[in-house]
Amino acid sequence: MPTLSINGQSYFSDSPPDTPLLWVIREDLRLTGTKFGCGQGLCGSCTVHLNGQPVRSCQVKLGDVAENALVTTIEGLDPSDAHPVQQAWIEAQVPQCGYCQSGQIMQAAALLAVNPAPTEEQIVAHMNGNLCRCATYSRIVGAVQRAAELMKETHHA
Amino acid sequence: MLEKNLLEKTAAEPKAGLTRREFLVRSSIIAGSGFLSIGLPGLLTGKEAEAAIGTPAYTPAIWFTITPDGKTTMHIVKTEMGQHIGTGLAQVIAEELEVKWEDVRLDTPLESVENFGVYGLAYTVNSGSVTTEFDRIARAGAAGRMVLVEAGAKVLGAKQADCYADSSRVHDKASGRSVGYGEILQKVKIDRKFAYPDDLKSIVLKDKSQYKIIGKSVPALDIPAKTNGQAKYGIDVFLPNMAYGALVVPRSRYSSKVLSIDDSEAKKIPGFIKAVKIDDSMGKCTGWVVAVAEKFPAAMKAAKALKVKWDAGPYANLSSADLLEQYKQLSKDEKAGAPWVLEGDVDKGFSEAEKVLEMEYTTDMVCHATMEPLNCTVQMTNGEWHVHVGTQSTSFARMTLTGYLSKVLKKKPEDLKIFVHQYLVGGGFGGKQDYDDILAAAYCVKETGRPVKLIHTRESNFATSFARTPTYHKLKAGIRNGELLAMNQDIVCGWMGARFGVGKKYGSDWLQQDSWDEKKQDIDQWSIGGSDHWYYMKNHRVRAWNHEATTWAVQASALRTVSNSYNIFVVESFMDEVALAAGRDPLEFRLSMLNGKGGNRGIPNTGHPEGTRSDYYMDQLWISLPWTKEGSWVPYESATVGGALRLANCLRVAAGKAGYGTKKLPPNTGMGIAVTAAEERQSPTWVAGVAEVTVDPATGVFTINKLTIAMDPGTVVNPKNVEAQIRGSALWGASQIMSEKLTLKNGAFEQTNYHEYVPIRLAQVPEIDVTIIDSGHHPSGVGEPASTIVAPAVANAIQNAVGARVRHMPISADAVMKAMKKA
Repeated sequence: MPTLSINGQSYFSDSPPDTPLLWVIREDLRLTGTKFGCGQGLCGSCTVHLNGQPVRSCQVKLGDVAENALVTTIEGLDPSDAHPVQQAWIEAQVPQCGYCQSGQIMQAAALLAVNPAPTEEQIVAHMNGNLCRCATYSRIVGAVQRAAELMKETHHA
Repeated sequence: MLEKNLLEKTAAEPKAGLTRREFLVRSSIIAGSGFLSIGLPGLLTGKEAEAAIGTPAYTPAIWFTITPDGKTTMHIVKTEMGQHIGTGLAQVIAEELEVKWEDVRLDTPLESVENFGVYGLAYTVNSGSVTTEFDRIARAGAAGRMVLVEAGAKVLGAKQADCYADSSRVHDKASGRSVGYGEILQKVKIDRKFAYPDDLKSIVLKDKSQYKIIGKSVPALDIPAKTNGQAKYGIDVFLPNMAYGALVVPRSRYSSKVLSIDDSEAKKIPGFIKAVKIDDSMGKCTGWVVAVAEKFPAAMKAAKALKVKWDAGPYANLSSADLLEQYKQLSKDEKAGAPWVLEGDVDKGFSEAEKVLEMEYTTDMVCHATMEPLNCTVQMTNGEWHVHVGTQSTSFARMTLTGYLSKVLKKKPEDLKIFVHQYLVGGGFGGKQDYDDILAAAYCVKETGRPVKLIHTRESNFATSFARTPTYHKLKAGIRNGELLAMNQDIVCGWMGARFGVGKKYGSDWLQQDSWDEKKQDIDQWSIGGSDHWYYMKNHRVRAWNHEATTWAVQASALRTVSNSYNIFVVESFMDEVALAAGRDPLEFRLSMLNGKGGNRGIPNTGHPEGTRSDYYMDQLWISLPWTKEGSWVPYESATVGGALRLANCLRVAAGKAGYGTKKLPPNTGMGIAVTAAEERQSPTWVAGVAEVTVDPATGVFTINKLTIAMDPGTVVNPKNVEAQIRGSALWGASQIMSEKLTLKNGAFEQTNYHEYVPIRLAQVPEIDVTIIDSGHHPSGVGEPASTIVAPAVANAIQNAVGARVRHMPISADAVMKAMKKA
């Protein structure tokens, strides 16, 4: 049985190795913050971090996740749910229906982890793969910029 | 109307027949704690309502509950699907109840026969929640405050006249002392009754100037859980021993019949349980086969491995490409067109015109494509059916399942115990008010004896979409001396209400007015609304034809703003064409007709027929919701107050802010304007918009640079949230004119996922300038209307940029190129 390290905890999954990681996370481990949207890597709702990189978990097979790989889901992004991106998302009141927002937040957090001061163009390019049917888009760019500010403040503090 | 129709079909509902109505305010002792429970018993008699409220084990059937810890839980019947409606409604109650916002919590009542009798219909549509709830929940809050002040005065030993409520406490002006709501409930047993509706009507609500919570952008209560993975949607439900279902994509959208199922390959998949052929004898879930398995990935695999043979049914050869010709043919029989608007003498107007302009418009199908695919979990336990789902109507979900199971299980409806548990909805837009998935999941439960979670893959979700109908429009205008003398709009489409019996049900009632008697015909207001716009025209006619095959083949249904989404595109595009033909400026031309004359002046109160327009009938429709079945409870002001003059005001604001006609624009760039009063004549939200668009003349590709929107929704409960709704719906509109397109081929939808059906993405988002005009009138809905003006404003802007008029939605680069060559 493959071992998975998700949000710092070890899990076993009895799902076949060709099972998309998404369904292992959601249905086997019941970490339901990661959402199923399209199953084809087209919408970004299922975005998680695999070794810090944003990936579409519907496109990652369980068998391809290395034993020592670190998977982070929205539930594990911050121990007190206060990651700068989460704070900025609440401050800007980004979510509407909210269904795509775990994916949006994970995608944004991955950007800021490698680029603490992204330009607007960089934010748009990085976030463009994440679909939002409520079109909360006009708050997303500002919220990512705000999160970058919050990270800077925390860093200096 | 939908609800009426379903109500009649569902024998298990409590009978209306109210003899006595009371508004109950009562505290009861539950497990040693005092609760204050407040409710308007909707359909129950006073006695039944008392029983429901008084049962300690029962969720208090009420609008809100104050607990001894001083917290107030607002019971929100409306669906949370991105509008933050719970927050908005709670603001209204809290305002009058004088509850501190930090003390407010939300929950959702369980849907059952009993609760239906108390709350009435749980149904969230039409951008109508704040409009319909505002007045009565404000009064419920005020009544609660009154009894708390009475009781608080007793606790404080003060004169009631010296006491007032503020921040969850009752204060005595004389002594300066105060007592919290929670403490009051522990010390005083409250038992007050208000006669319904007279006592409630006599409550004087706050003046707008006294508002402390209404009008404030308090953060939405549902948002924090949507940032940390804790928010629970229907798809997040788990039940013990649950199996999973995945749908085999049927051969055609509607009316396929299963001939045979070969499960030999599916059986090789570990975890496969069985293929369930869903009972489709009620015309729902036609041709559906569900692969049930221990886990969802196995169910998906099995669904692919099942070899199903179908008879594809009567629509097997129907394709989008063939429809236009059929629509044109249908509209040639002029007498068959059902009239919707009849003002003056249109034909005489055309005969007296100097110039007659005739144009054809068409619009493609679109679908909801919500981020959360349709899903449902059903459990049968101890003789009770429990449905777990995020839906726009838990009531209809229960009623529909009642009808289905009574037939399938051969049981009397009243012997079925069905409960619907509501969850957050991952996008609604009108797409979560059909219940096929619930029926299918329930049938899988019957066949497997297990709880079943049915999840649509994106592919099966698209394949079973409830589409907005394709449409064909013939527009005709008679012009004399630069004035519009007469206008006719003929509409051919599938009728989106027809599946629910709307057209047939209301057609005869609709046209009962004497002068229309001879023209009694079925009509579907869901497919024609928006054509009855607010421009003053002496001679105006709108007629509609139902293309029956479309109605059924694509399961034509309501999608955000329903028919406004195409009719506003058509009417507002054509208005620009008429203005140009008449030698007028499109802005000045519109303003001259948005003069508030005749039926467009708006009605001071609901219930007044006005002219021969649809106003009167819309009133009847709007107020015929269950809780007002006896007709007495509509004390609030009509959203139509001010009429077209409020729309003209919005247009001036939007045009002014955008610099329409004054701003110097770069080459190949133009501005276009449009107005709407969606959702319906009786429930208008006044909106105007300007689009600034640049067209690449070499390719026809257009870019929306900026949208400027001005909306007057009356009283604004939560400005920041209203702005979010306007922005989101404007981008929904942009998405529709740019790229959304669903097509039918041989009875099945062609698009399977987001690469083929293409909604707007972040990189395409234009600058959006929003102005909210808080006019203080009764609030109307904000979740939809702004979506309708973007398409025509963009089409008008393209014409102003490069002279190309495209009369089709969506607008492709090719269509722009073709139109440029014609220009």
